[in-house]
Amino acid sequence: MKRKLSLLLCLLMVLASFAACAKNEESDVIKIGVFEPLTGENGGGGLQELDGIKYANKMYGEVLGKKIELVIVDNKSDKGEATTAVTRLIENDKVVAIIGSYGSGVSIAAGDIIKSAKIPTMGASCTNPMVTQGNEYYFRACFLDPFQGRVMANYALQQGAKTAAVIMQNGDDYSVGLGNFFIDAFKELTGDPNSIVDISEFQVNDSDFNGILTNIKAKNPDVIFAPSSATTAPLIIRQARALDIQSLIMGGDTWENPAVIDVAGEYAEGIVLSTFFDENDPATNEAKVFVEGYKKELGDKEPIIPAVAALGYDAYLLIRDAIERAGSTDGDAIKDALNATKDFEGVTGVINFTEEGDADKNIAVIKTVEEGRFVYIDTVEVK
Amino acid sequence: MINQRKDHNIKAYILLFIVFAVLLTLLDLKYIGDEYVRRVLNLAAIYTIVSVSMNLVNGFTGLFSLGQAGFMAIGAYTVAIFTVPLESRASIFYVVPQNPALAGIHIPFPAALLLGGLLAALVAILIGIPVLRLKSDYLAIATLGFSEIIRIVFTNAKTITNGALGIKSIPKMPTMWVFFGVMILSVAFIVFLINSSYGRAFKAIREDAVAAEAMGINLFKHKVMSFAIGAFFAGIGGGLFASLLGTVDPKQFYFTMTYNFLLMIVLGGMGSISGTVIASFIVTIGLEVLRFFDNPLTLFGVTIPIFRAGFRMVIFSALLMILVLFFRNGLLGQKELSWGMVRDWFGRLRRYKR
Repeated sequence: MKRKLSLLLCLLMVLASFAACAKNEESDVIKIGVFEPLTGENGGGGLQELDGIKYANKMYGEVLGKKIELVIVDNKSDKGEATTAVTRLIENDKVVAIIGSYGSGVSIAAGDIIKSAKIPTMGASCTNPMVTQGNEYYFRACFLDPFQGRVMANYALQQGAKTAAVIMQNGDDYSVGLGNFFIDAFKELTGDPNSIVDISEFQVNDSDFNGILTNIKAKNPDVIFAPSSATTAPLIIRQARALDIQSLIMGGDTWENPAVIDVAGEYAEGIVLSTFFDENDPATNEAKVFVEGYKKELGDKEPIIPAVAALGYDAYLLIRDAIERAGSTDGDAIKDALNATKDFEGVTGVINFTEEGDADKNIAVIKTVEEGRFVYIDTVEVK
Repeated sequence: MINQRKDHNIKAYILLFIVFAVLLTLLDLKYIGDEYVRRVLNLAAIYTIVSVSMNLVNGFTGLFSLGQAGFMAIGAYTVAIFTVPLESRASIFYVVPQNPALAGIHIPFPAALLLGGLLAALVAILIGIPVLRLKSDYLAIATLGFSEIIRIVFTNAKTITNGALGIKSIPKMPTMWVFFGVMILSVAFIVFLINSSYGRAFKAIREDAVAAEAMGINLFKHKVMSFAIGAFFAGIGGGLFASLLGTVDPKQFYFTMTYNFLLMIVLGGMGSISGTVIASFIVTIGLEVLRFFDNPLTLFGVTIPIFRAGFRMVIFSALLMILVLFFRNGLLGQKELSWGMVRDWFGRLRRYKR
């Protein structure tokens, strides 16, 4: 048995050396690193984002007359792993730029390494402000939580809401961040510091929200804003409607997930959410081409195009566009080109960068649920 | 004869240490290796500190404790809260401002690291007094629950820890000697401790608590002591971890983190320091080496379909199963690595070849 084992190990080593040889042959490529959680807690979202990046690579596979090769590493949704994965991309694979990652925590951990190695990096869907803060090499293609919070507060006001309740997931930076920005924006827009009648937090894996909701019902707010994951959202919606709460229930981009409608069923009717783009109302020409092509690519795998896939696609295009304009693969040149990005037509809208390197998008899409489907209501422009 | 051999061994150890120190200095001065190698080694050094401290409690004292992630969190947050430069505090605590009592305090890294360890030890004593009266599975459950409590307290103490958003901009260490130096000191301390009268008492408790008590060993005192020292080094490991990553948030100290260290001590051998050190390095470096399986592989023009992201975890698990099946007591069991053992291995290898 031991002899067989050692034979097997030898075979594996031989295979490894073959693979190493195969890699060295290609030199006429530009390498872009992708670090995404492909296993672990955020594995699902990471894979969706990666699919969008891969599709972009398929459509636009060349820059400066060279082939673009994606080097994909898994960060296991773990910070320690994320830092080694990114260092590996920079040191071993010599990538010229990096895309990633789904989940802000791992992106923040990788940020310092990226900064000292001077490798321009484009986050696709990491919405925590700390990702790009004080890091001139980190950019991102998505709008930030403050913007999304403002959009939803705006929308609530347009619907005539005067009071709101907020439910957040304790321990989740996305949920807490978005919830707080909504609170600030809503107070500011209504001009009434008492317009937020209730702020509740629930714990990870909680499935019973009756306590929180009964409390909210007593205060009878016009809207309930509950940024949460797609697994928790339908539970909140169901239990709220079961308690006969008639308030408008709103959420963030994570709610645009078929699971929400599947689990909440008829209770999901009338919920409102903001998201990055809408496949039925493409914002740009690029979006039209993307929606058509990507629908075919996905086939029956997913009923709707996940917003993170669209963001992954945009992140890739932004990097490629910057390399092209920089005319070189030098880190600083690409960074400067990214900073100079002007009215870039992406799938998720027209993109410029702020001083911090965040996408300065002016549009968000508002959707609702009607007859068991996500329906487009409005594209909101906020200045 | 025996004296001669001992003499020879000491020379060999000194030689080994010099080789190690030269290699590490070369790595550190960037003559050999790259940032990637340095980072993986630093990570391995930190994991070594924590797993050796866990082995002191689990392997040598026979207390099945699963609270290591919680103690690490205490150390990591102490370093994070006190070493982040004052000027960047406001931008980090952007949702809820930092508690004014803490906002003006900045202490140097070594002091913060030590404070982290001491706080972890203090918490361990407080928690140990009621919890260490429990045995085996019950102790495991209680300590596991405790580490979750720590995590949830840190999630909720927003004015101190910034809650779920985490803290970033923790200063980096300029040299690998910080990590390896602390590792050598902690491992050396634990080795000396185990070979002292306290260590013999720990082992006696592990083997048979009733017999140990009959021999006049104060069970409770020794258990709390082992638990607190284990927590101290876990706190130190956590502090180093925070400074290596440059950021902390409560999610990274989820109880699954403790299982990583449990894996290392079971793999190395419960009750073997050298085994734990070796296993920590094998697991950390091994996970990186196995990344080869995550890349698409084209062999003679054929792309092999199973080589894709996530495949390395399958291989890793399979290797673990093989190891557990063939080395039931871990790599070294309760033995320590010695020259005799190395000679035996080479001898066996030679015989096998013949």
